[in-house]
Amino acid sequence: MYNFLFFLILEIFGWLFLALSFSVIVIYLILMALSALEMRDYLRKNRFADYGDIITSPIAPGVSILAPAYNEATNIVQNVQSLLSLHYGKFEVIVINDGSKDDTLEKLIQFFDLEESKYNYIAEIETKQVKGVYKSKNMSYRRLTVIDKENGGKADALNSGINIANLEILACIDVDCILSSESISRMVRPFMEETNRKVIAVGGVIGIANNCDVLDGTVTTYRVPDSELGKFQVIEYFRAFLMGRMAWSRINGLILISGAFGFFRKDLVRAVGGYFPKTVGEDMELVVRMRRYMEEHKIPYKVGFVPDPLCWTEVPESDEILSRQRNRWIRGTIETLQLHQSLKLNPKYGLMGIVSYPFWSIFEKSAPILETLGVLYTLLLLMIGDFSAVYFFSLLVMMYFLSLLVSSFSVLYEQISFNNYKDKKDLRRLIWMIITEPFTVHPKIVFWGLQGHFDFIKGKGGWGSMIRTGFKKAEDKKKISPQITSQ
Amino acid sequence: MERILRSSFFFAFFIFYASIADAQEELIPTDSSAFHNFLFLQEEIPNLSLRYFIADNQDSTSFAEQSGWALTDSGLVFSSISDLKLARSLEQDFQAKSLPYQTQYLVFSEVLSFKATRQYVVNLVNSSDFLVRTEEVIPSEDIVSLASYAHYTPLEQFKLRFVRDYKLLVVTIIIVFFFVVAISMISFMLLMKARKNKREHLLAEYDQMIVDPLTSLLFEKELQEIIDLDQVTLNEYFSASIVSKPIFKEVMIDRIIGLNKKMKGDFKEKLKALYRKLDLDKISIQALNHSNWDRVAMGLVQINEMDLVEALPKVKDHTNSSNFHVRSQAVATVLNLSERVDLTFLRDQTYPLSLWQQMNYLRIIRFVNHQKKLNLEILFESTNPSIRIFGYRLVKTLGRVDLIDVLATLVDRVSPEEKVEILEIYGALGAHMEVNFVNECLCSEDQNLMLTAAKTASVIGNADSIRILIELIDSEADLRRKQVLMKSLFDLDAQSFDRFYASGEDFEMKKIKDHILDPLLQYV
Repeated sequence: MYNFLFFLILEIFGWLFLALSFSVIVIYLILMALSALEMRDYLRKNRFADYGDIITSPIAPGVSILAPAYNEATNIVQNVQSLLSLHYGKFEVIVINDGSKDDTLEKLIQFFDLEESKYNYIAEIETKQVKGVYKSKNMSYRRLTVIDKENGGKADALNSGINIANLEILACIDVDCILSSESISRMVRPFMEETNRKVIAVGGVIGIANNCDVLDGTVTTYRVPDSELGKFQVIEYFRAFLMGRMAWSRINGLILISGAFGFFRKDLVRAVGGYFPKTVGEDMELVVRMRRYMEEHKIPYKVGFVPDPLCWTEVPESDEILSRQRNRWIRGTIETLQLHQSLKLNPKYGLMGIVSYPFWSIFEKSAPILETLGVLYTLLLLMIGDFSAVYFFSLLVMMYFLSLLVSSFSVLYEQISFNNYKDKKDLRRLIWMIITEPFTVHPKIVFWGLQGHFDFIKGKGGWGSMIRTGFKKAEDKKKISPQITSQ
Repeated sequence: MERILRSSFFFAFFIFYASIADAQEELIPTDSSAFHNFLFLQEEIPNLSLRYFIADNQDSTSFAEQSGWALTDSGLVFSSISDLKLARSLEQDFQAKSLPYQTQYLVFSEVLSFKATRQYVVNLVNSSDFLVRTEEVIPSEDIVSLASYAHYTPLEQFKLRFVRDYKLLVVTIIIVFFFVVAISMISFMLLMKARKNKREHLLAEYDQMIVDPLTSLLFEKELQEIIDLDQVTLNEYFSASIVSKPIFKEVMIDRIIGLNKKMKGDFKEKLKALYRKLDLDKISIQALNHSNWDRVAMGLVQINEMDLVEALPKVKDHTNSSNFHVRSQAVATVLNLSERVDLTFLRDQTYPLSLWQQMNYLRIIRFVNHQKKLNLEILFESTNPSIRIFGYRLVKTLGRVDLIDVLATLVDRVSPEEKVEILEIYGALGAHMEVNFVNECLCSEDQNLMLTAAKTASVIGNADSIRILIELIDSEADLRRKQVLMKSLFDLDAQSFDRFYASGEDFEMKKIKDHILDPLLQYV
């Protein structure tokens, strides 16, 4: 009897893995096709968009840029100056000093001639205590507001910014991101274009700035990072942003907007209570909550996505920091999906409940577990002598080719749409990375994902620390001492 | 859900297996005589034998001497027979002799009842220790001729492995599917990339070829000379063989339109004349009939830029197009090119106007407004609310004070959203005569309308406004709204503000007051 059950379970698992492999292939092929269609339409529409008008038009909505800062003293002044020089008519910059232990606030006060104001801070969304709101005496910096508050994490910092934001659209960014001067006008466009549905949020592409040249707040020369992890992340970001999110945007199924560069409708963010500070996946959680609100109130809505390269950030290039980031991402995903379990396969929530939620549960949250189970299953088959080399190698080759296909498609996709990496040497390096990544970096990513699951079960919270090496070239990196920017 | 699926799977699995067992069991008859015949058909069943018995009577002694029979206390017993075929012939023999025999079933040499024997056979069948034989069907026709109807199919052992092994078959199908799709997608992308590269190369090459002759024409020829250019002279600048190429024409259009945007005065006219001379206007107008929306929209942009007024009737056909971009470009073109700007076509638009469209139309209307008097009031009659709102925004942006009276007649029958727009106009244009409407809106239940009215009152309010604002401030519980109201009061009458709130003890009120009075926050 037990023998029968054992082999029955093995048989079931065999079929499950086969079904999973098949669904992975089908889903990725669908995503590739959808993203290609969306990109084609976007590029076509973009030919008729004149972004010159939006800067001065009285009809364009105002944008409050929220930039939380934690121990950013090294680059804070340069970063805020860059934000203040964005090309847009109606915007304000709100920098939130989230209890930095270094002299971030002092540097801001000194450079921008700030003075503590008698700002009536209304905590519509509950936050840690706000110690002061600073404004500049210099009219040139009238757009700048600095909040000094007790440390409470990124979500809490953003919530305090949301409480004092005056304009219709919130642009939530990482203060150390490089924003293109056109970033606001391009990101605001989807909010202005839609007529039948309310655009509740718009996500943008995050480019990788490691090893690139930056001039006047824009990446002028793209170069692939030197490290293996850096190169891997270039491909991964292409896959995630240009392919994944474009495809989800096509069917209005996007449930994640990067916390480093996302635009939201302020009235709705306030209505849903702002960011949830007790999760490390606050960016995804907010979008899911906003979408839930719209579905529950039966208001037609859309989450938009702009594929133009408008924002760049430095990505971690060491195992230690990347593992922390991936650990946090997987915990954030698990937490968000757990918090919104009622969405699961619930037709009341439309596409989000029927398609997006199950996709994220199986292919994002459970991916590390499923991959590990697959390996264990193979080992078990080997041990009991029921291992079929034909199946194993067929599936292995197929999955490997799928990985090659998806990665090369996204690189080609970038080449056709934007063609930023012009150097042939860079392209060769990316192709080599595509070939080797499944054997070199991918196992690490799976392992870090598993650690994330394990840490979630243990109840671990928090962000860990992120070491920045600074933008521009390798020489510059040496000059900048390691600094902690987020908690 | 997962649990239900799992349970369903196991249930289905066991039902499947149980149904196979049931099918075998059904072959064993439940009727005793049929079962008896069934046993003969099997010829042999492990550990099952038959024994015949004749009860003790007068005739029985005469059989005792016959072979196989043994005399016992209760009668005659024939030795047990496991060869059921033999048992059958024996029984036939007994029946011919009309012997009064009885049959006993022996399982493992133990006499069992019919039911128990049947159950034994059933168990053997279920445990696959015995395969049931069924009666052979004797065909009525010649077997060879029957076989000719049936095509030959090989037995399992002769089939291809991947056909026999269904899992391998599924994997193979998936792999084939994957490779076909993958290769198609990559080929398509590579083709696109190659075409794009080729096109970019050609564009750059043609652009180089265009720059010099175009510059010469613009700087060397007068407008009339360009208009009078004959084909031969034109071909001296642009070779006929190249001009006929579609990509060259495309580059030429882009280049001329690009220059037209940057240049002023006479040069603009020369470019437009050249555009027509090279028959590029025909390409732009033809694009309006194209099936791809982006080509139509591009044609509209070109017509707009090059002032191709003759295309206006065709352009008007697109002003209510279902495509957002075509509609936007068509409206922009009509607004720009119409001799007499009649906004009737805009009033009659059925699609809602997006902010993006409003922004674009506003830019054109602002420009046109300097040259022509616009009948904006026609937009207030539209059945499309977004058009009416756009009309109000135009009044505010263009500073059309003359239309305030018209607006005043509308305020009673418009939606709160429109009232908000009208209030903003009153505030922006300083329409003091409409202060009663502002005060009326201040008392509205609609929070948004009330707050907009408060902001407007800060510009055009009167004593009544002050009184209403103070009442509202006292009754308002929401701090954010209270702050807006207090700011309006402060802007309207700082003295009243001081009188009522200067010495306030309320902590929240004090914070709001400090905020309003802080010079650092005057631009917030």
